Amino acid sequence: MFLKEYIKDVYSGVKSLLIGMRRTGKYFITPREIITEQYPEFRAQLSERFRGEVVMPHDEKNEHACTGCTACELACPNGTIKIITKFDIQPDGKKKKAIDTFIYHLELCTMCNLCIVACPTDAIKMAQNFEHSVFDRNTLTKKLNNPGSKIREGIE
Amino acid sequence: MNASAIIFYILSAFILGAALLSVTTTKIFRAAIWLLFSLIGVAGLYFWMQVEFIAAVQIVVYVGGIVVLIIFSIFLTQQSGSEMIRPGKKQLIISLLAVLFGTAFTYNLIQHYQFTPTSSKPLAANVSDIGLQMLSTTEHGFVLPFEVVSMLLLASMIGCIVIAMKAPAVPGSLPEGFEKDELPPLQLPKNILVNPVQPAEEIM
Amino acid sequence: MFSLQGITNGIEKWLHNNMSANMALLVECAIVIFLAISLFAILGLILVLMERKVAAHMQIRLGPNRVGPFGMLQTTADTLKLLLKEGLTPDGADKFLFNLAPFVIMIVAMLILAPIAFATGFQIWDLNIGVLYVTAISSISVIAILMAGWASNNKYSMLGAMRSGAQIVSYELSAGLSIISIVVLTGSLQISEIIESQRNGWWLFKGHIPAVIAFVIFIIAVTAETNRAPFDLAEAESELTAGFHTEYSGMRFALFFLAEYINIFIVCAIGATLFLGGWMPLHIGSWQGFNHIMDFIPSSVWFFGKTFLLIFLIMWFRWTFPRLRVDQLLSLEWKYLLPISMFNLLLMTVVAIMGWHF
Repeated sequence: MFLKEYIKDVYSGVKSLLIGMRRTGKYFITPREIITEQYPEFRAQLSERFRGEVVMPHDEKNEHACTGCTACELACPNGTIKIITKFDIQPDGKKKKAIDTFIYHLELCTMCNLCIVACPTDAIKMAQNFEHSVFDRNTLTKKLNNPGSKIREGIE
Repeated sequence: MNASAIIFYILSAFILGAALLSVTTTKIFRAAIWLLFSLIGVAGLYFWMQVEFIAAVQIVVYVGGIVVLIIFSIFLTQQSGSEMIRPGKKQLIISLLAVLFGTAFTYNLIQHYQFTPTSSKPLAANVSDIGLQMLSTTEHGFVLPFEVVSMLLLASMIGCIVIAMKAPAVPGSLPEGFEKDELPPLQLPKNILVNPVQPAEEIM
Repeated sequence: MFSLQGITNGIEKWLHNNMSANMALLVECAIVIFLAISLFAILGLILVLMERKVAAHMQIRLGPNRVGPFGMLQTTADTLKLLLKEGLTPDGADKFLFNLAPFVIMIVAMLILAPIAFATGFQIWDLNIGVLYVTAISSISVIAILMAGWASNNKYSMLGAMRSGAQIVSYELSAGLSIISIVVLTGSLQISEIIESQRNGWWLFKGHIPAVIAFVIFIIAVTAETNRAPFDLAEAESELTAGFHTEYSGMRFALFFLAEYINIFIVCAIGATLFLGGWMPLHIGSWQGFNHIMDFIPSSVWFFGKTFLLIFLIMWFRWTFPRLRVDQLLSLEWKYLLPISMFNLLLMTVVAIMGWHF
């Protein structure tokens, strides 16, 4: 029957619209559901899993764990990491490979975590920092090892 | 000259100027817009005469209806952005002659008509009076024109519906005017036609 | 007693005592123009802020909250920004019509303001065809949109203008029919008489179910006529960038933006006048005590309260419903709203003739 279908159509249409309006109306009158975080006053503590940027932790004696094996450089899919190595002369006269500069291009990084997985000595890890905006993009190219730092004893 | 006369002359100048621009412009969309301004000016003249109902109807019918229709037909048919060619010398002379003749004719009529000043106040047409007059069957009633116009509108409405109506599409059949062997047969995989969307449970 | 009517009467008496009749008329015109323009400016600021706040709270956000207390000066800052921006005219545009269109749309909005009654005896022009005048003048605004769309010489503007034209022309019908169904009850087109007829109750309550249906259809139709979501096909951001005002910038864009909000205010004021009694306080039949208490609230508060209630309803629509497709839009009008409102008009006529309304 045509008329019956028509009235049913109108009824179901109006009903579905009212269901939608009830939902938004409910949000409107319950301000405690607001999920906005007021940013500059309130900085979110991001979870451990969040990948903000690659950092190289140094201990209090200014020592890191990087052997300069370039596994991370090889693992990186888009050339974010560049390692310049040098040869340290050890007290017993032997030469040993070590890093001179660990260059990290934040502007190229996709936070894929492959370098961290590839590192055999856990020298690098992901930090939870997310405020990366700067005025000059050259400052996004970072040197991860501190000046004068050297490799920790006992890491091969 | 009092304020009322000044307003009258301003309105008349506006109407005539817009009308003149409407016939002399070379862009067809601009011509429609000038025509619109001219018609709005006429509505302003009705407001000046304090016959607000006629003025509002003038705007509803001419501005809201006819000019919008004209503009739509210009959009859909003409290349509305391009300039049109200017009329030739012969057309110009003939149209000027026609204008002169029309002016002379109207002037002659006005000259010979005795405008008797009336002292009665301007007619205050109430809406209910207009409605009653529209359907009255007495001597000056408008029931016959009203009904004739209604019939005309009904006929045009039915005509529109008939033109816009499509024959119900039968699945697999071709639209009217297509021969069967003009088009290659549809070759789609059978499962697409039979079962276009798989139920969600089966995919899971 | 302190009221807007008292103030206007006082001003008129003072003017007529101190200068000639013509001069007094001119000064009154100047005052009205000044009031209309300042009303427009203030309404623009308030409505844009209200829209952003309502939208934010419906989407579980906070909305503007930095400029001034609770972000109340945000729209003022935005307006200043728009004033300082450069108004570009595209090279291929029809310069004259392109620059004319925003002014036409503002003039139309100003003209519709004339018959609206803001409070008891506070009305610019109480002409005897009030409602018809509003319907007639508002049909000019479609011309301004078509003008803007064509003169921009841009395909998105053109498409937006065409859609908007089709939409406004078709939804005018059902808006007009639902207005007529109230005119059938009052027997007059004059705004003051329509308000006066609601002294013992609003038409929404007095007119039974036909009045409620007419009210719903009116709200849907005016939402479409003002080109707001879910009927914002004319300026659909995701399809047409911004529709007919894609090419506008600076103050001319601001005029279009302002005109949209002014039009919302005007249609809601008309809706409040027709269905909710305008400035008339809530009166229930013969409850003398109740009616007396309601009379203590000033009439302007009643008018603006009802109007802003309707504006909130329209904003609620905007932030709840998704946009319609063009074919859905037209089938909603021609297959649902128009037949229902025609049938409703018949029903309303029967109610009016039999005297079934209160």
